[in-house]
Formats: sequence, C-alpha cells, structure tokens
Amino acid sequence: MASSPRPLPPPEIETRLRAQFGDDVLSFEDQYGHAVLTISPARYREVVTFLRDEPELAFDYCDFSAGVDLGDEGFEVVTHLFSTSHVHNVRVKVKLPHEDPVCPTISDLYAGANWHERETREMFGIEFEGHPQPVKLLLPEPFEGNPLRKDFPLMSREAKPWPGDVEGEEGEEE
Amino acid sequence: MAEGSVEVGLITEKTPLAGVQPVKFLLNWGRRYSLWVMNFGLACCAIEFIAASTSKHDFIRYGVIPFAHGPRQADLLVVAGTLTDKMAPALKRVYDQMPEPKYVISFGSCSNCGGPYWDSYSVTKGVDQIVPVDVYVPGCPPRPEALLHGILRLQEKIAGEDIREKFSGKLTTPAATS
Repeated sequence: MASSPRPLPPPEIETRLRAQFGDDVLSFEDQYGHAVLTISPARYREVVTFLRDEPELAFDYCDFSAGVDLGDEGFEVVTHLFSTSHVHNVRVKVKLPHEDPVCPTISDLYAGANWHERETREMFGIEFEGHPQPVKLLLPEPFEGNPLRKDFPLMSREAKPWPGDVEGEEGEEE
Repeated sequence: MAEGSVEVGLITEKTPLAGVQPVKFLLNWGRRYSLWVMNFGLACCAIEFIAASTSKHDFIRYGVIPFAHGPRQADLLVVAGTLTDKMAPALKRVYDQMPEPKYVISFGSCSNCGGPYWDSYSVTKGVDQIVPVDVYVPGCPPRPEALLHGILRLQEKIAGEDIREKFSGKLTTPAATS
C-alpha cells in the first residue's frame, strides 16, 4: 500500500464501464457515493472480472452477494464490491426472470462469494451456474421451499393472521 | 409411648407421623441446593443468564453452580434464547446426555413459545416440543431476577418431589413464574 487511496467518483466508474461494455450496462446510478449498475446475467462474470482486474478500479474485496425478490419483475442478485486500495464501492445488480432464475457464479473470482451464493440459492431458489458446492448453507437439510421468496407461505400466519395491522391502514404491499 | 416424648425408632421412608418424611426431606434438601447448571445459551437471553451468575445477582448463593464441565455433569439445563429447527437436534442430544434426575428451565419468550419469531420459518415454537420443561420464565429477555425467581420455583418443586413418583413414568406438571 505504497500509494495513497484514490477513490474514483461513480461517474468515472460509469465512463470506464460504458467504454468497455457499452449498452450492456442496462442502468447506472450514483447512490450516496456508491456506483450501482444493472446488467444481464450473460455479462455478469465479465463485468465483475473487469471491475476486479482493471488497475484503476481494483475491486479486490467482495463484501456480500445477496438476492432480492421483486415480485413480477423477477429476481435480482446484488453483489457489493469494495476496493481496499482505492477505497471505493460498487454494487452490481443482475436482473433475473421469476421463472427458473439462473445466475453465473463468481465464487471462483472471489472465494468469499461462495457461502453468499449458497445462502442466496437456498433463500430465493436462484441457481448459481458453476458453483462448486451447490448445497444448503443455513437451512436444515430436509427444509423445503425458499423462505425469503415473497410467495413463501408462513404456516403460523395461515393459522393466525399478523396482529400488527391497524384497522383502516392498507395491508402489506405485495 | 409416654405423652409428649420424642418418637424413637427406625426412620423409614414413610414415618408413621403424617407429612414427616425425613429421608425424603434430606435427599431433596441436598438436591435442591446443589444444581449444577448447563447454560444452553442461544441468543441475548444467555447474557441475562451470565448476569445472573456473576457477582451482582450471583445465583451460586442459591446453590446453582455454573461450572458443569458438560451435560454429563449437569443437573439443570437452562435453555436461554431462540431455538431453531436446525439447532433442535443438538438440544435433544445435550438433554439426553444429562444424568437423571434432571431439570429444564425454559428462559425467555423465544424458548417458551417462539416469542417474536412466532411466525418464522426456522424457529422452533417452544423448546417443550423437544425436551420436557419444568419451569418457564417469561420475558424478552427476562431480567436476571426473573431467572432467580424461576430457580426458586424449581427448588420448591424439587423439595416437594417424591423420587419414586418422579420415575414412575407420570409426567410432571410445569410451573410458570408469574
């Protein structure tokens, strides 16, 4: 760590990504100083490899990789990368369909993503293509279903509805 | 026998005097004040258990000894915290390793009934589904004083116990502290 950190502002990160991937970067946002980009699963690994290996970006640390259930819009895999040398952040969002969501693995690029992907797989039912050990991480082995999906039924609530709803207020958003 | 004199004779388990059973009393008195406890700490309730064991509350003064080297040396199991379905076999295994006579205190809402995780997909709704519970201590988390109260209730229960009855196969009724 001879050189002092030079964090790239998100627009600069966007410029470099646009130069490399063009319109395959579906959208780009600056969220509180973090670069947030959305891509398709086909170029996920390329983008992450680029973010990791480009000297000015050098995202060498995978903070987390998780899933989001967007209902009818499908699923998102969100991967947060951090650069320990430049001290800047990026979140890569991968758009997936609601039926048979399959995402390429990045566990060979970042060893730390391995367990995150296993958790995302069991919680959302998103398959990670090429994952070396696609088995459950936290759930007990006989568990069926993907509990963090919005359509996962909570048996206790079938018997007794959520008591927190106030009369006149709208129910939980679907 | 002369009027007012002390009864002399062999002390059997059931003396002719109504309600006086010296052997039973002595045995239970010894057992209730020597409870080697195993802390099955699973969540924040375990911190309250630890607080109850340290100098301010100090449950050693009630004869609860928090230095059991493992379940095989323990008389009392305190389940403090959120039991998940994945952890449940481990609890059962710890309980099975404890020698009889053994007691279980369920400490806190989570171990009593699931507590705030009543609708969770992964939390066991009460440790009494896994092991028999003698005393339930309610609260989220209960204060150390509540655990002390629970221990006193357990000691009352032990004092009233008949060992022959306990192992007759009949289930004992659990007690709640409040």
